[in-house]
Amino acid sequence: MEVAYYPGCSLHQSSQFYDLQTRRIFSELGVTLTEIDDWSCCGATSAGKFNDFLAVALPARNLGIAEQSGFKEMLIPCSGCYSSHLMSQTRLRSNKSLMDEINGELAFKVNNHLKLVNILELFLEAKDKGQFDSRIVKQLKGLKPACYYGCMTRFAYDVPVSDNVENPQGMETLLTMTGAEPRDWSYKTACCGASAAINDPDTAFNLMGKILKNAVKTGCNCIVTTCPMCQLNLDAYQEKFCNKAGIYERLPVYFITELIGISMGIPLSEMNADRHFIDVFGLVKELELV
Amino acid sequence: MIPSATIYNPQSAKTLIDEVIERSNQNIYACYQCRRCASGCTVGEETGITPDVLIRLIITGNREEALDNALVWQCVSCYTCGTRCPNNIQSGRVTETLKKMSREEDVIPLNPNIAYFHDAFVQGCTRWGRVNEMEFMGYYELKNIGKHLVNFQFKKAYDEIVLQVRLGASMFKQKRLHLKLHTSRGRKEVKQFYKMALKKKATLKNDKKSGIGFRLD
Repeated sequence: MEVAYYPGCSLHQSSQFYDLQTRRIFSELGVTLTEIDDWSCCGATSAGKFNDFLAVALPARNLGIAEQSGFKEMLIPCSGCYSSHLMSQTRLRSNKSLMDEINGELAFKVNNHLKLVNILELFLEAKDKGQFDSRIVKQLKGLKPACYYGCMTRFAYDVPVSDNVENPQGMETLLTMTGAEPRDWSYKTACCGASAAINDPDTAFNLMGKILKNAVKTGCNCIVTTCPMCQLNLDAYQEKFCNKAGIYERLPVYFITELIGISMGIPLSEMNADRHFIDVFGLVKELELV
Repeated sequence: MIPSATIYNPQSAKTLIDEVIERSNQNIYACYQCRRCASGCTVGEETGITPDVLIRLIITGNREEALDNALVWQCVSCYTCGTRCPNNIQSGRVTETLKKMSREEDVIPLNPNIAYFHDAFVQGCTRWGRVNEMEFMGYYELKNIGKHLVNFQFKKAYDEIVLQVRLGASMFKQKRLHLKLHTSRGRKEVKQFYKMALKKKATLKNDKKSGIGFRLD
């Protein structure tokens, strides 16, 4: 199976190891990810705050490239990119004149028939097809992850997404398959503050403090996420916001690919997991998973 | 804070409501103030003003307050309000619309950093076709620190520099800092989109100044 792949700026820079892990695991599952040629930035949430036209036009360029390269489906692991592409697609669908205006500037025109999938949807599809069968060599016993979806995968404006909006279960399904015991907790779709960590840190640290407090309280021993922004925020600022909120525990913040990788027998070091700010090796060693 | 409905000018209210509905594509007339959005609002505690209040401000035509409040700037665009709304109003989109309107009407942002950040991001990504984290953060910090310096707040400028250098150093240590310039060959198209967006913004602004009001081209 061949799927188009849009990494986005973050997966080529600060979260490069997420890109590496995604490619590795899907190739082991027999899914070929082909990075679309010469993609550009989707504008993230900033474009939407700058100008409506720009917010639709920037992702449209990537949609055009993927479609004209003959792909039916495109994987976008970054939640922010996923959400902005989905929004652009929906807006173009309902506004023919906007689509014509944008297509007028594009070398690769958009027809709007591309199916966008996030990383959980593609993993779940692989699970349903039985591609994980006999691939899970290690049961992640003792791992009690807080599945943190963040705000961008569960929902993109008025676009319907596959999982439950308030209580998504995709990550739980996958991690239960690997033998982990995901905990039920209250902040799975809460917002980490995203860029506010830089431009409005007081607000963002309060939000992140609440998330971690709840994860600790419900007895989780790690956090799992699919979003590079959530991962960076909860990881890089954990020392700071925990001190502010009076939390003594520190939880490693894994990408979903890392836990699936461990259960498939891929060593953490091959997945560049040393790039976390909060140590991720201690917990899995303690539980004798690696 | 509950906006007063006693001072009410139907004419000016209508202009504001029409513009917000048209640009945000959200039917704010459907709001019956149940405040489910308020209970879900991520930043409600910090801002003290929640989406329901914002919608009430628009309905009563209180343009000044609606364009100049903490929520317009501090909203983190998590769109929780929209998922909770029984009438399917995506108030997050309303907030974003108000943010754009507020900048068109030259309202001084309550938190200028947020405006600097989004500007730096958009300029960075349209300049190279891809965002370069180091570059756009550099631009953002220049503006941010510059703001402290022109206000003679040297301590704040110093603290900001120390904070960002520390973050940068720890990112570097974790090999999460990349110095290579990331570009897209097709950035001409992206730049063209940026120019078109600027033109659209200018048209909106001019129309408002010349009293034509809001119209969609």
